[in-house]
Amino acid sequence: MTDMVPDRFKMRYPKLEHFQEPNVITTTADFIFSWGRSHSVFPFTYGLACCAIEMLSSGFARFDIARYGMEVFRPTPRQCDLMIVAGTVNEKMAPVLKRLYDQMSEPKWVIGMGACAISGGPFYDGYNVVNGVDKIVPVDVYIPGCPPRPEALFQGLLELQVKIQQHKFVAETPKPAAQNPKPAAVTPAPVAGEEA
Amino acid sequence: MGLEIGTNPMDMDAIAARLAADFAAELTGVRVQEPDTVVARCERAALKDVARRLKAHAEIGYETLNFVAGVDKVRHLESVYHVYSWKTNTYLELHVEVPKAKAEVDTVCDVWPAADWHEREAWDMVGIRYLGHPDLRRILLKDDFVGHPLRKDYVDSAENHPHA
Repeated sequence: MTDMVPDRFKMRYPKLEHFQEPNVITTTADFIFSWGRSHSVFPFTYGLACCAIEMLSSGFARFDIARYGMEVFRPTPRQCDLMIVAGTVNEKMAPVLKRLYDQMSEPKWVIGMGACAISGGPFYDGYNVVNGVDKIVPVDVYIPGCPPRPEALFQGLLELQVKIQQHKFVAETPKPAAQNPKPAAVTPAPVAGEEA
Repeated sequence: MGLEIGTNPMDMDAIAARLAADFAAELTGVRVQEPDTVVARCERAALKDVARRLKAHAEIGYETLNFVAGVDKVRHLESVYHVYSWKTNTYLELHVEVPKAKAEVDTVCDVWPAADWHEREAWDMVGIRYLGHPDLRRILLKDDFVGHPLRKDYVDSAENHPHA
């Protein structure tokens, strides 16, 4: 029966090598904490564009995000630990997004949902567009699509659960900083011609 | 008022002729463009006076302002006013040419209060300065944005992308 569960979804029980780096033996505390965290994620209602429609529809009965214990969307960052950035982040919204992210309590995670949140998407290099939310906050899981279906969002949430379960209780592994090199060549904007 | 929705007591050609006669000195190129729209051009200096008289016109009376658009025509800018007449159920599209060197035109906020946010948007995007506007700030872009992005000669600058 256990063989039907893919390896990456299996709970990670503490092994001998886990006791070597931090000089504290936590036995099953890691497992308990990460299990609790990964199954009671409170997402932040942060819909910016059409991806928000998919995010909200995933909360209703047809797709039912409650199956993963994540149905408690909160409209305040102080009660949330997951920010699903669903939509285009523009330059005017960028400082607001950063402030809301800073107001969330640790530990916290960010999902970049859809092409716009990943790279700017169809609005890439626009005059008021941030080319990806990872320019502002560290992103844990990217979900491609324009917009992604609720099933894709759920797969991203399951991947996030796997990631949360890898966190250590004693010494949290620092999250990698945003490292997205800007592409060298940018498509030139068409030059306006004289009007007839 | 007895008028049913969708009725027009005046012929479109009659409206155009009436406007051309009453505003002979100010409006040029008055013509019927669509079944319910008359198009006209107006000199920049006469705009405020024309707007007042258009709104107060006895037979036609363009009481409602639907939209103010800023347009970059490459050689010059244009401020386009879409106004609507309840009396005749028709529209007027008023084009005002604005030179790029001195992109200024009088506000019509005091005639049609609805122009407030529309003129702010035209200022934000195309850079037409509306003289006498009560609160001419950017409305869509952030306050410290550099340039007016819907100008055809706009070049995106790094200042507008502090996070890149």
